[in-house]
Amino acid sequence: MKWVASFDGLAQEAAICAYCGYCRAVCPTYSAVGWESCSPRGRVHLARMLLEGVPLSPSQAARIYHCTLCGRCSEVCATGIDLRRFWLEARKTTAERALGPAGAEEAVRQAVLSGNIYGYDNDERAGWLDYMDEVPDSLRLGERADLVYFVGCSSSFSPRAQRIAESFVLLLGETGIQFTLLGKDERCCGYPLLAAGRLAEARTLIQENVALCREMSPSAVVFTCPACRLMWMEHYARELPGVRLLHSTEYLWALQMEGRLPSFHLESKVAYHYPCDLARSGGVYDPPRMLLNSVRGLQVLEISSPSQREECCGGGGDLEMVDPSLVAELAVRRVSRLAGTGADAIVTACPQCVRTLSRGAEKAGCQVEVMDVVELLARARL
Amino acid sequence: MSTIATKVLPPERISTDPIERKLYSRDVAPVPEVITGAFLRTTPDAVVRPGNSEQVAALLREATRARVPVTTRAAASTGFYNTVPVRGGLVLDVNDLRGVVRIDTSRKTVRVLPATTWQELDDALSTYGLATMSYPSSAVSATVGGWISTQGHGIGSLRYGAVADQLVELEVALPDGRLTHVDAKSFPPMGWFTEAEGTLGVITAAELSVRPRPEAESIHLLIFDEGGELADAIRSLARWEPRPFTLTFADPGYFALLSGAGFRTPLDPTQHPYLLLACFQGDPRLVGRARNAVARLHHRELPPEMASEEWGQRLYHLRVKRAGPSLLAAELWMPLSGLAGYLRSVARLSSAVCLPVASYGVAVSQDWAMVMSVYPADERRKLAYLCAIGFTKRLHDLGARNGGRPYGVGLWNTAYLPRLFDRDRLAELRSRKAALDPAGIMNPGKLYGTPLPLRAPLFGPASWALSTLFVASSRRRQ
Repeated sequence: MKWVASFDGLAQEAAICAYCGYCRAVCPTYSAVGWESCSPRGRVHLARMLLEGVPLSPSQAARIYHCTLCGRCSEVCATGIDLRRFWLEARKTTAERALGPAGAEEAVRQAVLSGNIYGYDNDERAGWLDYMDEVPDSLRLGERADLVYFVGCSSSFSPRAQRIAESFVLLLGETGIQFTLLGKDERCCGYPLLAAGRLAEARTLIQENVALCREMSPSAVVFTCPACRLMWMEHYARELPGVRLLHSTEYLWALQMEGRLPSFHLESKVAYHYPCDLARSGGVYDPPRMLLNSVRGLQVLEISSPSQREECCGGGGDLEMVDPSLVAELAVRRVSRLAGTGADAIVTACPQCVRTLSRGAEKAGCQVEVMDVVELLARARL
Repeated sequence: MSTIATKVLPPERISTDPIERKLYSRDVAPVPEVITGAFLRTTPDAVVRPGNSEQVAALLREATRARVPVTTRAAASTGFYNTVPVRGGLVLDVNDLRGVVRIDTSRKTVRVLPATTWQELDDALSTYGLATMSYPSSAVSATVGGWISTQGHGIGSLRYGAVADQLVELEVALPDGRLTHVDAKSFPPMGWFTEAEGTLGVITAAELSVRPRPEAESIHLLIFDEGGELADAIRSLARWEPRPFTLTFADPGYFALLSGAGFRTPLDPTQHPYLLLACFQGDPRLVGRARNAVARLHHRELPPEMASEEWGQRLYHLRVKRAGPSLLAAELWMPLSGLAGYLRSVARLSSAVCLPVASYGVAVSQDWAMVMSVYPADERRKLAYLCAIGFTKRLHDLGARNGGRPYGVGLWNTAYLPRLFDRDRLAELRSRKAALDPAGIMNPGKLYGTPLPLRAPLFGPASWALSTLFVASSRRRQ
């Protein structure tokens, strides 16, 4: 990044947009959809129309949600607009005018009612622990601990992503460090609501999580989900001074540096997929790569084209709730690029990316395995 | 109108949605509807997205039969309305013709589709140890086809010439529906299409010469107190052998505007620096001699890390737009012999009218530079913005007095047609148009003639009146 992107309000930034199309050239959804209305500059123009009172139909306004919030547009914006923030504000404006897409609105409703985006019984949040062969003694469920693992909706309820939570718990168990979960009291972090333009509705969820965290008084909260971590950093941190908010890979890499993790060995070739919310928006690039490099026998392959290295898988920004077929198209494309490196497996560090890429691999008929870094490490323990 | 398209394309590649069409009715320069609505139909009747060359050719054949205007569009990253329809019709969005087809490492050529951006192309070439010879200063979004169609001078042109000089062959869809290959010796020759701005056909593929990726690079950031010193340094370095890859420059107004927009500048803008960024690339031994070239100049040089930082931002001049929020501009093709005079005149004008005007540019040959002069405005204040538009003519007039002329024509610069082409040249261009596009469907209303409101009797006085009001309001604000 050449400078810090700015945001001086939706109307001002919409006027600052130069319509130069730098954003268009890197936007994953535009490259799949192809219409100007789906380019970032087109969406800026749509947001401007909304502000000016131009009547838009729900399908026209939905274009503002045809975006994964991957943030690549912000990186290249010629006028330095913080476009990720712009999209969040534009969605807020869209939702306020009752033009939010039905899928996103439904997820908001479910999260508010049940405490999770799927609308499941929130008491089942820690149900995945029942399927583990052995739960480590260092997990103090229902007790206070210095370390809290915030599991997130996806890893709590999605069968594919639950394996990520299991693997992380196993790895923590290896270290002997005592930790706890918020269990059935954990609520959706609020990120899907923020992405739907409904931050106000997320306030109660945030307050509930904050209150619970204060009760536990941990020194650190750790996340396997980069979106949860990002949400906590942007909307919880001020209320939890002194609490470190870390992604699982950051935490594990620190332990690795202290020699507190076991040795790892796995003969395989993998390609690493950078989760947008962890790397571009969250600033965590190195720890997952360093952890992979610490596995003996593991070869980490790289996409040769620099501009394709950090592309989005399609799974972010509530797009799954708005246009699942578009997510599938982006995922297939991403899987093809990553598998094109000759890797046996795609490794990432985000449950949503794992879910999206797994489906993409299946749809593409690609035999490549998709897993989280913590799953690979759990498998590679000696 | 869309029935023409339905003969060729599936429905999902055609849009008649009013909002969608509206988004295709502009480029980087917002123009108030009070102007466009008066004499133009900038909103297309339909937008079509062909997926391959054959579909492009078939669409042109059908459009010619039905005499429907066709405006080709990829990045739409210019500000002259080259890619905006002025008579409705179809917008041909060619962005699906994107990607590198073939890289020949032994011949050092690349075959590429027209909507590939210059950055994407360079990125693809880098894997093979190759690089583009030149690229536009908007390489992140500007496309291969677009730059070829608009003369293609920019970064690297000083060393390797215009993009036309690097072309081996073009595949072109003609208005009669033929898909043909043209080169320097064919009829029509390739050169017809490199300055036609999409008025003769649609470029559907290009084969370009490329270069080995440079082994070494030496970047220097030089400061001058006077525009004259800057111009002398450019002329001196442009003649140095080995030729610099590029020489880009900016005046004190640029750094003042950049600073006002909240960005860090290499020097305190109150020091009124003229900056020259010189980049030498190629063989390490030859590049090593660059220091000798630079050492001969009377200048101060900033540290290498600052030079690298400026080089890293060479595609980001538009940052100054944050000072706007709108930006109006005159882009000029300027003899290096007139550069000092022009920069001096602009500085004087800027000071006299209390309006920050920023100029920056790039030397594109031993004798010529492209200069962009920009000033802030606010398109949301409609009347004031309308007046502000009139001020561009003053900059064009200063350019003309110093031997310059507008760069690019499109619609808006047809106001300066007599400065751009002499009578014989214009007749020659018109005869090409008549030969290839007798029905006049390709990008009509551009390049060859001036619409009534932009003609001298109206345009001159109107611009003068508007800019006078703009200047008065600018002075009042001060």
